[in-house]
Amino acid sequence: MADNRQSMTNTSSELLHGTLDTLILKTLTAGRRHGYAIAGAIEDATDGVVEIEEGSLYPALYRMERKGWIEAEWGVSELGRRAKFYRLTPKGRRQLVAQSAEWARFAAAISRVLVNP
Amino acid sequence: MGPVRGRHLPGAREPIAVNPFNRVFWRPPVADEVDDELSFHLEMRVRDLVERGMDPVAARREAQRRAGDVERTRVTLRGLGTGRNRHMERTQYFGELRQDLAFTARQLFKNPGFTAVALLTLALGIGATTAIFSAVYAVVLQPFPLREPSRLMLVGEVWEGTPQVMSVGNYVDVNAAIPDFEQGLSALNYASYNLADETAPERVVGARVTANYFDVMGVRPILGRTFTADEDRPGSDRVVVLSHRLWTRRFGASAAIVGRELRMNGAGYQIAGVMPASFDLTSDSEELWTPIAFTPAQRAEHDEHYLTVNGRLKPNVSRRQVQSQLDAVALRLRHDFPKDDETISFGTVPFVERFVGDYRQRLLTLLAAVGLVLLIACGNVANLLLARGAARAREIAVRTALGAGQGRIVRQLLTESLVLALCAAAAGLVLARGFLAAVIAWSPNDVPRLDQARIDPIALAFAVGIALVSSVICGLAPALRASRRDPQTALRDGGRGSTGGLRDRLRGALIVAEVALSLLLLVGAGLLIRSAIALQRTDTGFEPHGVLSARVTLPATSYTEPARIQETLRRIDEAAAGIPGVSSAAITSFAAMGSGGGTNGLVPEGRAPVAANFINSTLRVITPGFFATLGVPIVKGRNFNDGDRADGQRVMIVSARLAAVAFPGQDPIGKRINCCEPGPAGQKVIVGVAGDIRSRGPAVAPRPEFYLPLPQTPAVAWNWFRTLYVVVRTTGDPAALVKPLNAAVTRVDRDLPLFDVRTMDQRLASSLATARFNTLLLTLLGAIGLALAATGIYGVIAYFVSQRTQEIGVRIALGATRGSVVRLILGQALRPVVIGAAVGVAASLAASRVLSSQLFDVSPTDPLTIAAVLATLVGVASVASAVPARRAAAIDPTRALQAE
Repeated sequence: MADNRQSMTNTSSELLHGTLDTLILKTLTAGRRHGYAIAGAIEDATDGVVEIEEGSLYPALYRMERKGWIEAEWGVSELGRRAKFYRLTPKGRRQLVAQSAEWARFAAAISRVLVNP
Repeated sequence: MGPVRGRHLPGAREPIAVNPFNRVFWRPPVADEVDDELSFHLEMRVRDLVERGMDPVAARREAQRRAGDVERTRVTLRGLGTGRNRHMERTQYFGELRQDLAFTARQLFKNPGFTAVALLTLALGIGATTAIFSAVYAVVLQPFPLREPSRLMLVGEVWEGTPQVMSVGNYVDVNAAIPDFEQGLSALNYASYNLADETAPERVVGARVTANYFDVMGVRPILGRTFTADEDRPGSDRVVVLSHRLWTRRFGASAAIVGRELRMNGAGYQIAGVMPASFDLTSDSEELWTPIAFTPAQRAEHDEHYLTVNGRLKPNVSRRQVQSQLDAVALRLRHDFPKDDETISFGTVPFVERFVGDYRQRLLTLLAAVGLVLLIACGNVANLLLARGAARAREIAVRTALGAGQGRIVRQLLTESLVLALCAAAAGLVLARGFLAAVIAWSPNDVPRLDQARIDPIALAFAVGIALVSSVICGLAPALRASRRDPQTALRDGGRGSTGGLRDRLRGALIVAEVALSLLLLVGAGLLIRSAIALQRTDTGFEPHGVLSARVTLPATSYTEPARIQETLRRIDEAAAGIPGVSSAAITSFAAMGSGGGTNGLVPEGRAPVAANFINSTLRVITPGFFATLGVPIVKGRNFNDGDRADGQRVMIVSARLAAVAFPGQDPIGKRINCCEPGPAGQKVIVGVAGDIRSRGPAVAPRPEFYLPLPQTPAVAWNWFRTLYVVVRTTGDPAALVKPLNAAVTRVDRDLPLFDVRTMDQRLASSLATARFNTLLLTLLGAIGLALAATGIYGVIAYFVSQRTQEIGVRIALGATRGSVVRLILGQALRPVVIGAAVGVAASLAASRVLSSQLFDVSPTDPLTIAAVLATLVGVASVASAVPARRAAAIDPTRALQAE
C-alpha cells in the first residue's frame, strides 16, 4: 500500500509538471490561502490522487510571486499561528484563464486519442 | 484643490500598486521567511494526522517522510526568495520612477511659462559651458596625434631663460654627443614655396626637415613614405612630403599623386608621401616638407640660429639626465667656438607644453568664466523651483498626508529638476554647436588644434554630466525645503506657502551668490576691456592708416647673386613708388606686426667684442622711403639717401631705445658701432636716430632696433632673409592698391608672386586678435551673467510682492504712502544685492590675478574697474527690483483685501 502511494506521488508529480501552477492559481480563486491549505485543497479536490510535497509546492509559489501572479502576506492562521498567505493578483487571474483553456485543449486532444480506437 | 483631483499622486499609497503589502510592512529576512513557512506546513500536517488518530510520534515521522528532502527545499527557496525580493524592489523602483516621470511631464506641460524660462536658462548655461569645454578639450586635453607625446622635447639654445632655436653647427654637435634621444635629434626650418603646376600658382608655408623628423615626432605617412637619409643630402633632396590639408586642397586627395612631380620654386620635386590629417596641428601650420640637406659649410656654422630642434627621450631617461649631457656639450662648445658659443647653454621643454603655450591658461580662464555663468543659471532655476515649491506646498502636503515619506517627495522633486536639466542639455547641445562655431570663427587662427573642436560624444558626455550636476545644484535645496514643510500648516494655509518671501534665508542666499558670481565675471571682463582700450590707445610709434604691405620671396634657385637681388629689389621699390596714388614706398626686411626681423648682437665703439657687451637688437634692411611710408620720425640726424652706396661708408640708423642703451647720455650721431659682418665692413657709423616702434604688437614694449640701407646689406644676410616686405602709403584706401602693386611687382619679374598682402591696420588688428577674442568672450559671458542675475533678482522680488499683496494692501489701507512701500520693497531687495556685491569684490580681488598675464597697463585690482562694475550691477539690480516695487505701490487696498 505504502509502495503504491509512493509510486502514485511520483507519477502525479511528473504528470503535474507545468500544470501545478494552474492548479494552485485555481485553488486561490476562492480567496487567500496559506501553503498547507493550498496543498490540502488540491488533494481534497482530486480525492487524494494528486499529492503535493513541499519541495515542489513552495518553489512554485515563490516563482509565481516573482512573476506577479500571486501576492504573499503574513497573517494569522485559523488556529492563531503566524502564517504566510497567498492571494491571486489580476495578472494571476488572467494567467489562470489562459492556462485553463490551454489545459482543456490538451486534455481534449489526449482523450480523443485514447477514447477513439 | 487642483493638483489632487483625479490624479495618482506619486508616493501616495495606491490600492492596486504592485505589492502594497510588502511595500508598507516590514519584510522578514528570506531565511526566516522560508523556515517559518516550512515549519508551519509540517506542524499543520502533524496536527491533521493526530486528529485522524495517529499517535504524535508516528505522526511527526510520517509528516517528515512526506516532506521529503527539507534541507534541499530550504536552499532552493532561499535562492528563489532572494531573487524574488530583488526583482520586486526593482519593479517597485521603476514603477515609482515611471510615476515620477509621468507626473513631472504633466507638471512641466501644465506650467509652460515656468518650463520655458527654466529650460532656456539652463540650456544657455549648459550650451555655453559645453562649447567652451569642447574648445578646451580640442586644444589642451585631447591626446596629441604623436606617439607618446610626453617623451617629445623641444631642445634649444637657452635664450632669455627658455630654450629657443639652434644654429646648424650646434645642432650637429649636440646631436652627435647625446645618445639619450631615440632616433637622434630632428631639425626643422620654416620656408615658403612657390607652387606652380597646371593649377594656379600658389604660395605655401612649408618646412625643411631632417630625414628623422617624422620618426622623432612619431607620425607615419598615410600614403607613400617620408625621406630617406640619402635624400637628406645636397643634390638629391628634390623630394617633398605633403600635408593632408595641401593634399586635399590642391590634389583632391588623390592617391595617385605619390611619385608624381611637383614644380616648386622653379624646380621639380618628387612627391614621396602624404601625412595624416591629425598632423595638421594648427590651421596655419606648415603644408609640406622637404629635406633640409645641410651643406658642409652649414654644418660648420655656429652663429646663425634658426633651427627648431626636437628630440624624443628614450624610455626611462629623464629630462634631468639629458640636461647634464647638454651641459657637458655646452661646456665643450664654449671652449671650441669661443667667439660664436661663448655663453652657450642648452635646455629642453616638453613639446606639448611649448605647443599649447599660454592658450592653456586662457582657455581654462574662459572655462571657469563660463562655469560661473552656469552657476548663475542654476541659481535662477533654483529660485524658480523654490517659488514653485511654495506654490505647490498644498499639493505636497496632501501627498505627505497620504503617506509619502520625505525621501519620496525629495525624489519626486529631484526627478523634476533632472528632467528639466536633461531637456536643457539636449537644447544646450544645439546651442553649443552654434557657440562653438562662433568661437572658432572669432578666434585668432593660430590657436593650435582649435579647428578640430567638435560637439562629439565627449562633449555630449560632458553636457549630460553637467546637466546631472546642475539638476542637483538647482533642485536639492528647493526639494529639501518643500519636503520639510509641516503638512498641517500648509493645508490650513490654503496652499499659499507661509514661508515665502524675502526674509527667507535660502532665497536671499541665492541672490547673494548670483550677484557675487556676476560681479566676479564682470570684473574680469572689465579688466580685459580696459586692457583693450589701453592697447588701442598705445602709440605704436608708426602710423598704420593708409599703408599696404605685402611680402615677396626671392627664390634661392634663381636669385644667387647679391647684386641681382639688390637690383631687383631696387626696381620693385621704384615700380611701387610709381603707382598712381602712392605717396611713398619702401622695401624692408621687416615691416612690423608679423614674421621676420632677426636680431644681431651689436658692440658699440669703445667696448670689447665679448658676448657680455653685445646689445641684442632687431635688424631692418630698408630703402630710404621706409620712414615716410610707415610714418616713423627721424628724431636726430638724417635719413638714408642714394649716396649710401654699397662701396661707400657703412652707415646705420638706430632707434631711440638702442641709442639710449649703446651711448647713454651721449650724442650717438657719428659714433661707431660694430655688427653683422666681420672685418672693416662691420664698422658702421650712426647717421640718424629714429623713433621707437612697437614692432611685436602694442602690448610689447619697444626693443632696441637698427636700420641698414639696402645697398649695404651684408652678403651673408641673404641667407637669413629671402622674404622681404614691400610697403606703400596712400592718401586713399590702401586696399585699392592691391592690384596695382601686384602688377608692379610682376612687371619686374613675373615669377615673383606677392603674398600675405594686408593693410597695416589689418596686421595691427591680428596682432591683437587673441586679446580681442578673450575680451569679446569674457564680455559676452559677463553680459549673459548680468542678464541672468537681473532676471533672478526680478523674479524673487516679483514673487515677494505677489505673496505679500495682502500685507501691502493692509499697510496702504493703514496709511502707508506709496513711497514708503517702494522703499520697503527696495530695501528688502537690495540687502542681499549689497552683501553679494561685497562678497564678489572680495572674491574678484583674490581671483583676478589669474588674468594678470592677459592684462595690459591695468592692475588686476584696478579700483576704477571694480567701481564701474559695482555701479553697473547695483544699477541693474535696482531697476530689476524697481519694477515689482512700483507694482506693489500700485496695489489697490480694497481689492487686495477682498482677494482672500
